[in-house]
Amino acid sequence: MSQGLEDVQPRSAAPKPVAVIDIGTTSIRMAIAEIDAQGGVRVLETLQQAVSLGKNTFTTGRIGKTTIEDCVHVLRSYRQMLAEYQIVSPEQIRVIATSAVREAANRLAFLDRIYIATGLQIEPIDEAEETRITYLGILPYLRSEPALQTGKTIVIEVGGGSTELLVVHDRNVLYSNSYRLGSLRLRETLEAYNAPEGKVQEFMESQIERTVDQILEHVTPDESSEMIALGGDMRFATYHLIPDWNPKQLARVPLAALEKFTDRILAMSEDQLVRKFALSYPDADTVGPALLTYVQLARAFKLKNVLVTNTNLRDGLLKGMASDAVWTEEFSNQIIRSGVELGRKFHFDEPHARQVAETARQLFDQLRSLHQLEHRYAVILYIAALLHEIGLYVGFASHHKHTMYLIRNSELFGLGRKEVLLAAIVARYYRRASPQPSHEGYATLERDERVAVSKLAAMLRIAVALNDSRSQRINNIRCEIKGNRMVISVPNVQDVSLEQLALRQNASMFEEVFGLQVQLRALRGEAG
Amino acid sequence: MSDDTSSRYINRELSWLEFNQRVLDEACDPTIPLLERLKFIAISGSNMDEFFMVRVGGLQILTDRGVTRPDPAGMTPAQQLAAIRQRVRRMTADQYACFMTEIEPGLEQHGIRRIRPEQMTERQSQSAAQVFLNDIYPIFSPLATSSADDFPRLINHTLNVCVRLAPQAGDGEQARFAVIPFGRGARRFLTLHSEGGYSYMLLEDAVSMFADRFFPGEEVLECTPFRITRNADIAIRDDTASDLLADMQDLLDARKTTDCVRLAIAAYTSPELLAFLQEVLEVPDEDVFKQPGPLVLSDFMALTDLNGFDALKLEPWPPQPPVDIDPTVSMFDIISQHDVLLCHPYDSFDPVVRLIEEAAEDPDVLAIKQTLYRTSRNSPIVAALARAAQRGKYVTAIVELKARFDEASNIEGAKLLEQADAQVIYGVKGLKTHAKICLIIRREPHGIQRYIHFGTGNYNEVTARIYSDISLMTCNEELGADATSFFNAITGYSQPRRYRKIEAAPTGLRDKLIEMIEAETKRKQQGQKAHIVIKLNSLVDPQIIEALYAASQAGVSVKLNIRGICCLRPGVKGLSENIEAISIIDRFLEHARIFYFSHGGDERVYISSADWMPRNLDRRVELLTPVEDTAARRRLINILDTYFRDTKKARRLLPDGGYEMIVPDAQPSLSSQETLYRAACDAIRRTKQSQLTMFEPHRASE
Repeated sequence: MSQGLEDVQPRSAAPKPVAVIDIGTTSIRMAIAEIDAQGGVRVLETLQQAVSLGKNTFTTGRIGKTTIEDCVHVLRSYRQMLAEYQIVSPEQIRVIATSAVREAANRLAFLDRIYIATGLQIEPIDEAEETRITYLGILPYLRSEPALQTGKTIVIEVGGGSTELLVVHDRNVLYSNSYRLGSLRLRETLEAYNAPEGKVQEFMESQIERTVDQILEHVTPDESSEMIALGGDMRFATYHLIPDWNPKQLARVPLAALEKFTDRILAMSEDQLVRKFALSYPDADTVGPALLTYVQLARAFKLKNVLVTNTNLRDGLLKGMASDAVWTEEFSNQIIRSGVELGRKFHFDEPHARQVAETARQLFDQLRSLHQLEHRYAVILYIAALLHEIGLYVGFASHHKHTMYLIRNSELFGLGRKEVLLAAIVARYYRRASPQPSHEGYATLERDERVAVSKLAAMLRIAVALNDSRSQRINNIRCEIKGNRMVISVPNVQDVSLEQLALRQNASMFEEVFGLQVQLRALRGEAG
Repeated sequence: MSDDTSSRYINRELSWLEFNQRVLDEACDPTIPLLERLKFIAISGSNMDEFFMVRVGGLQILTDRGVTRPDPAGMTPAQQLAAIRQRVRRMTADQYACFMTEIEPGLEQHGIRRIRPEQMTERQSQSAAQVFLNDIYPIFSPLATSSADDFPRLINHTLNVCVRLAPQAGDGEQARFAVIPFGRGARRFLTLHSEGGYSYMLLEDAVSMFADRFFPGEEVLECTPFRITRNADIAIRDDTASDLLADMQDLLDARKTTDCVRLAIAAYTSPELLAFLQEVLEVPDEDVFKQPGPLVLSDFMALTDLNGFDALKLEPWPPQPPVDIDPTVSMFDIISQHDVLLCHPYDSFDPVVRLIEEAAEDPDVLAIKQTLYRTSRNSPIVAALARAAQRGKYVTAIVELKARFDEASNIEGAKLLEQADAQVIYGVKGLKTHAKICLIIRREPHGIQRYIHFGTGNYNEVTARIYSDISLMTCNEELGADATSFFNAITGYSQPRRYRKIEAAPTGLRDKLIEMIEAETKRKQQGQKAHIVIKLNSLVDPQIIEALYAASQAGVSVKLNIRGICCLRPGVKGLSENIEAISIIDRFLEHARIFYFSHGGDERVYISSADWMPRNLDRRVELLTPVEDTAARRRLINILDTYFRDTKKARRLLPDGGYEMIVPDAQPSLSSQETLYRAACDAIRRTKQSQLTMFEPHRASE
């Protein structure tokens, strides 16, 4: 029966159950899914419970005590649900929080309370990260939808606290930004100004107009442009306007119909909305302002239709987790593309940089069981490897430090500020001193991040050593752990003495971090 | 029956009474074996008891408080009560006439005899005296009473004997009374010695016969059996009379201390005794029902199970093993190959029980979630769920405690589950969970697989032998996702999510049904063919009825098969001439809800837990499930059609709310239930034969 071979290298073909939780402005949502070996995502359950985080933060700047306990209650019940699927270990669960938590003055107390009560570690994500995740979710449509192949596509999500905007052309991100315009924020501003009943819509329109003008400064749509709208409010409208919408596909909603529907919604009271459409109260609160924002944007872009997708932040998060399983994710290419662009700006040795990055990727993949780092660190390592020498643009002396501040102060699409910082620090440690508590930047990191930086830098140094010849001759490596040694075999290469020499210098950090000696072997004439 | 046909609707109470009349008609049908007829007498009796308790009681309160708001049929509560009383008196007369002139004498001819005290042989009298001394005298206690102040609180619906005693010297002419209440569990039928056959004495006869022993030294003037029906308590009324409740909410607190809605009493009562009871119970004349025969006819259900009288019973139609279920293959393997549709009680309910039992034992099953409405005593399903929980699986049971009359066994089951560490949820606040669904989450090599059972009947293997219901077992991805969302919503894990395939009450079910009906109307208006076939227990909801009227007016052909209440008035010119409504009353209780919409040729078939009544659509958690598997859908369409070919047990609803038997065009007449039963038998016979033509060797297991 058994061929024996499979037993030696067990490969689990069974899909991996995972969950993502998104702590938003009006609700906490969870998606439970399975990720298969090919990186396919199958969503099993989606859950949603209302909380008033946004209402708290946007009015008082803090998350109230009862709201915190509401969140604890919701997350505890989610944990229970996850236990049914045996989703218990942290790497199976990703919990993110957006603007309502991010902007709360007491967010640390909030995060700690949740951690103590539920064991869930919340990651407040910044705007750039939100855009990146949105991009991941929207990708399949960009690939498959013929209407989006030609012109610029403007991707818009009006959230409770912010509006994410992404301009994509030919699958490349041209522009991305996040604006402090949100449906709940609008509502709260209205209440703060105590706008009279009859003036509400007018007031909202002028508020939205300001942001729309800002957007138009950066975004110039052309004839063939399309706008894709994301978000629960838009989905709600679409289900009403196109009852037989197949949510697996993009819906094309005529702007005229959307305008009419929006007027109807804005004319109804919260209670009426709840009764008529079976909305939750928080949703009833935000649906009007959100739809109005989409309408005004579509008008500004002179569009006749709005495309609507059923995809959401959770889908993007799941895609992100799925790319843990497979590297060949379009999104990674986007990040690499922006990394390469940055490198070119500083005249880096592109073939060498790509080679080092590629080797680093192989090390990361093959040593997964050793370093146990999440996939996002693979991207950080890759970017650090690509850009490790850009400091040379400033000068040779201490160029690793120049590298660090150049990366740190650059925009890289798809990477949040924290990730950019991590990449910058990893690149800094590609040579010279090992990380010290006194080092700038490094000292500000959390403990687990410091550990990750050390691991990544250790691997980066190996990758650099392996490409010391700058001839791009080492294309494939095979890493094996044998006792207290990590053996790197390089097939189809006659002589690796140069690299061995470089390793002698560069491997010490790896030995310190992982407790393994590094040995390089040439496998002559063997197929990779 | 004829009522005011000018109204768009038939009054629901009168429609219900017509349903009970159809049950009674079965009792009067001489072609049916006698013990079966007795069963229908008993059913019509217990139906009537419930009707008085929940419906008449509610209407009485409304009338007492002067509420005059008319129902959709345009009748005020007082008008409804008057019409009900009139109809009930006629029906009760028919019921007793049938019982006393046909069934009782018929049974006697076949050896099942009621022995009255004066007919007893010496030996029988002796054994009666023995029974009285051993079983009655020590337990029953007479309670002397002279006025409402000292009148005992009687148990709803149970029998009592009222004893009138001769006045005592010095007491003037003051009559004296005592009440002997029979306990709830008292045996009504006392077996007497007989030479062949079965002889019994009624408990009230025994009590009357020896009543003087309770009152030594006194003279017993009369012993009269009677019983009262009380207004239902709020928990029951909440569901069964919620339409009335809307008007009653604030009136209920001010309820009278005596809440007797009906006094049933033996016709031979003396005027003095009756006057006394009416006075103490505050019962007006119109709520007094004098019965010419034994009270509590529902008790006679106990006699229908008598052994040794098979000639007086119908040939049993045992449930058949379903053809597409190989008993040697796991249910999970079967369902993963194709959807399984079962039509109970022709198809056995065992596969459903087996699915849950296998889930309990299966190491790969992670979680089981299930609604439990009315389970049987010692339910194997509850036992399997408890076992699953003990094995560390996540078991969630939504147990509805408000299920009428079955509270006790539901609570028992819930306790068992809690002890096993299952998560037990006692329904949803303000709603009654009536949906029938079981979701099994199983880890398989290619990922999580969800197995779902959707039903129209309860998870009760006992009633599944006598109720006609549909089961759908599937592992369809979208139905699985919907089932998950459904449980998350009712267990409070999530706000309700949009369903992909199913629809649920109270959120979207009515809208969905109306949408489906209106879609047919639109199609017809655009010149397409349009056809609706509906099988239900009750059709009351005015909004849906209006949608059906509109469909009829557009020319959509609408066929209704509604066992019980139907407030829709069919066949009225300009209103509903394209609507035909039938009702089937036969040996099995028609219970399945199946809906068919032609949908422009892309036929849609659904099964559902919900009747089309406001209470189901607004105040219950109910489900509507599409049946999309081609074979399953064809079979359901076939089943629906079979009922409309029935010329034996089908009645047609007339525009005036009355019913008439459907006369067969050709002999012999066709019974739909028999057709379905024979079809199930033929199917399994064919399968067995085909197995005989191919030998299957036993192989050593691999």
